Amino acid sequence: MKRIFNLSILAIAAVFTACEDKIDLDIPKGKVYPVVDAWITTAPGTQTIRISETVPYTSSQPAPVVSNATIVLQDVTENKTYPFTFANGVYSHNPGANVSIAKLGHVYKLTVTLGADEFVAMDTIKRVPPVDSITYEFKKKDESASGKEGYYARFWARDIAGPVTDYYWVRGYRNTTSNVQSNIFAIDGSFEAGLADSAIFIQPIAESITDWDKPFQLDEKVIVRLASLSKPSYDFLSHVDKQVNNGGLFATVLENVGTNLKNTNPASTKKVLGWFGTSAVSFADKTIKPL
Amino acid sequence: MKTLAAVLTLFLALQIGLPKAFAQQRFTVSGYVKDQQNGESLIGISISKAGTSTGTVTNEYGFYSLTLPAGEHELQFSYIGYSTQKIKVNLKANQKLDVKLVTSNSQLNEVVISTKQQEKNINTLVTSVNKLSVAEMKKLPTFMGEVDVLRAIQTLPGVTTVGEGSSGFNVRGGATDENLILLDEAPVYNATHMLGFFSVFNPDAVKSLNLMKGGFPAEYGGRTSSVLDIRMKDGNNQKTVINGGISNVFSRLSIEGPLQKDKSSFIVAGRRSYVDVLMKPFLKGDLKDTRLYFYDLTAKANFQLNKNNSLFVSGYFGRDVFGLGEQAKFNWGNTTTSIRWNHIFNDRLFLNLTTYYSQYDYSLSFASEEDAKEKQGYDWTSNIINYGVKPAFTYYINSNNSLHFGLQSVYYKFKPGKGVGTEDTRESVIELNHQHALESGIYLDHEFKVSPKLGIQYGARVSGFQYMGKGTAYYYADTTAGIRKRLIGQKEYGAGEVIKDYYFFEPRFSARYAIDNKSAVKLAYARTSQFMHQLSNTASPTPLDIWTPSTNNIEPQVADQVTAGYFYSAPTGKWEASAEVFYKKMHNQLDYIDNAKLQLNQLIEADLLPSEGRAYGIELYAKKEVGKTTGWVSYTLSRSERKTMGISQNEWFLNRYDRTHNLNVVVNHEVSKRGSVSANFIYASGTPGTFADARLEFQDWDIPYNTTEKRNNYRLPAFHRLDLSYTLKGKQTKRWKGEWVFSLYNVYARRNAYTIYFKQNDDDKTKKEAVRMSIIGSIIPGITYNFKF
Repeated sequence: MKRIFNLSILAIAAVFTACEDKIDLDIPKGKVYPVVDAWITTAPGTQTIRISETVPYTSSQPAPVVSNATIVLQDVTENKTYPFTFANGVYSHNPGANVSIAKLGHVYKLTVTLGADEFVAMDTIKRVPPVDSITYEFKKKDESASGKEGYYARFWARDIAGPVTDYYWVRGYRNTTSNVQSNIFAIDGSFEAGLADSAIFIQPIAESITDWDKPFQLDEKVIVRLASLSKPSYDFLSHVDKQVNNGGLFATVLENVGTNLKNTNPASTKKVLGWFGTSAVSFADKTIKPL
Repeated sequence: MKTLAAVLTLFLALQIGLPKAFAQQRFTVSGYVKDQQNGESLIGISISKAGTSTGTVTNEYGFYSLTLPAGEHELQFSYIGYSTQKIKVNLKANQKLDVKLVTSNSQLNEVVISTKQQEKNINTLVTSVNKLSVAEMKKLPTFMGEVDVLRAIQTLPGVTTVGEGSSGFNVRGGATDENLILLDEAPVYNATHMLGFFSVFNPDAVKSLNLMKGGFPAEYGGRTSSVLDIRMKDGNNQKTVINGGISNVFSRLSIEGPLQKDKSSFIVAGRRSYVDVLMKPFLKGDLKDTRLYFYDLTAKANFQLNKNNSLFVSGYFGRDVFGLGEQAKFNWGNTTTSIRWNHIFNDRLFLNLTTYYSQYDYSLSFASEEDAKEKQGYDWTSNIINYGVKPAFTYYINSNNSLHFGLQSVYYKFKPGKGVGTEDTRESVIELNHQHALESGIYLDHEFKVSPKLGIQYGARVSGFQYMGKGTAYYYADTTAGIRKRLIGQKEYGAGEVIKDYYFFEPRFSARYAIDNKSAVKLAYARTSQFMHQLSNTASPTPLDIWTPSTNNIEPQVADQVTAGYFYSAPTGKWEASAEVFYKKMHNQLDYIDNAKLQLNQLIEADLLPSEGRAYGIELYAKKEVGKTTGWVSYTLSRSERKTMGISQNEWFLNRYDRTHNLNVVVNHEVSKRGSVSANFIYASGTPGTFADARLEFQDWDIPYNTTEKRNNYRLPAFHRLDLSYTLKGKQTKRWKGEWVFSLYNVYARRNAYTIYFKQNDDDKTKKEAVRMSIIGSIIPGITYNFKF
């Protein structure tokens, strides 16, 4: 519901000639930490994990890759381990093209060894509903809020009924899954617990898969991924979302995102940033054809 | 026991002053002072015995009481802008004397400026008080042509904001929720329209404003940093007058007049903005049905029932509305009502009894399109309601002693949030528990002129607070500071059952010592407590930020402030100046854990962190009130910091609203009989910000990160701005008075930074930038035509 609020801010800002411009800040280079980017899903095939280093915020260089870590994923529920090996900038494990290592309801533990320090994190794979369909409509320049002509898509899916609260990560892609268009996070079918249990995902969430500034064009493929999240993973990602989309009249203070990777040696001062998360995923796609 | 001891001490102290008072037969002269032309009661009029320092001033209702020895006296009634009136009285018994003052033709009137004025800075007891009249506010250059109360007070020393369009102001390093904003004695919870650009107070209906920043008399409680006391006009009781204004943003209209000449009158004033109408041509597509406007209605009536009883009824209703067709609606606003009864028991005992109602609420709703195949809707509402009563007595013992005492009680009802989701015919509701609280205060203040040179005011207030049922109390485990606390238990309480109570003893003291007839020094100390907290982690509060009472988990805020000042008044009376220093310690200001959820969160208390705060500074102020050129200069050098376990490595850090330097210059010059120009210049150090020194590559994001883990470790660029305005009076006939006001806001189009944040470039996601957000990015002209007939 913040969307209405944000839109009102936008409209008011326009009235008062609000503007944003890039400025150069002279900020000393921060400390360097390793960043673990580990998200395991139920999608079959290769799972990858990336470890990089923090870089100065405005640096245009890609973050340096950390290649000397040892990574082991453990299915705690089944007591199985999956080793990850480093190649081409990422650590990966390939169980076979149609095999999925992540299973619904299982608990996973990630162990990252960096030099003398060992970092561990756990997450659980929650349930996810299927995506029923994707629909779209054509909007002319003067019909859309952003003034961009194109096809505006939405997806249809229904939240799984109680008894627990479900958390989801909705992602929209253009043509391929390497081209992310949008991210939005849902609780049951809406933004608040208890409001839309077993409901169809509400319109603002369903419509979020289109980038309003760049709607879909003919023959482009709309892809949507619905991913389940544990509560800690939801909290982390919604925090990330707040930090990367911060701004405007009511910008909040920069608050560092947390990490669930804990050093097993409490005496060690070494730390890593990042997160280990697990999701069950369901996909749908649709190619835009003339209406 | 402590309280009783204090009250006893007060009375003992009184005894010292009393015997002298009864040595000679004395009588009291008392009455009301009003404006002859419109019957408005006049606040702060000085009444003195000619040629002496004996005197008093009228209170907020224009009432005065002065006890003098029997015999002949010449009384002098004076106030800036009014011709001084001298009246001879022969006191043989207690006497009623109502006086009507006539406005002077010229500000240059020598009679006015040469008279000894009791209300001058050097002569008043209280310190850290700034008054502004509507006439002074009207001289300020305006934003989009509208005279604005909250913008006007920002030109005073010790008052800052985080930037343009901020919906709150900060006084002496306090947070925005620490200001008690009173409209005819009813508290106002959100004092701005349009997310902060305009204040809710209609300038046509405002009579006076008084900002107290320290040295609070015991009568005031409930907030720790300031009291902004706004009084509405009573309404003209002589003839019907219509005031109005048309500007490029909104229009105003007010009507006032007698209900019964000399005895009762009314005023009704309304405003409506039409930004959305002007915007219409520029909006298209999904935005073309955008509604964006606000309106407010202010009304008041007063009745002089008889010589000893008057009744005032006033109300305010305002609303901001934003909507996108039928699909999205968002609105918020305040409602206040106050009923006041003035009763004169006898010549020396005055009572004002106020009862009030105040409400703030907002609602957000969303519905799927008319033709949608699944009907969905979502509604979210929240409100705070309070009912209060305050009997306030003033007992004028003699010309050197007066007592102020009374009681205050407010009952609060909070509905922090209710969400309703609908899908076809199905409805799901989540509602946060309602909360209830009772806040009470009892106070006694003694104003004592020890000698012509020394005056003191001392007293105490006992504040009590009960957080009570019907409701649920939650209990949390102590965990590492900065991490969400874990719920370990909860307990249901029945209606009226006390969950947690707090009591505070708040001593208050101020003293003034006149060095000579040009200068005085003052000293003050006040302890204040606060039981209402606004939950907001943005740079300035949003209309969605809810208020919460102190609970078993949220301790009340307490502040101690000492102030010392030097005051000077030029012998010619043409200008005055002051220098004040202050030091303030604050306890239990609220802060938040990282990624706190402040809305629709039943367990919000688990996300809050108590802080310690401190602020100190020096304020310089000079003001010229008479002559062709008038204005004031204020400069504040200050620091405001806090320390929170769990934030910024548990070390002291600057508050988001800290500004080291803050300079304001206001100048008004009468060019001719018809025209005058005004200028306002502001320079302020940039507010602190937390900047990212690193980024994390995670999934497809570049997440800004601050590896120093220090909050507010940098400063935004300095803020400065110049505004100009030109007022041209039209033909002033007996029936019609009109004037044009042309204003230019932000003359040299400075892009002052409101916030700085870090994000990927919109066009090229590989580029990461620090972005400066300026709320006002260019020069903003305003034209207003004001009329009166």
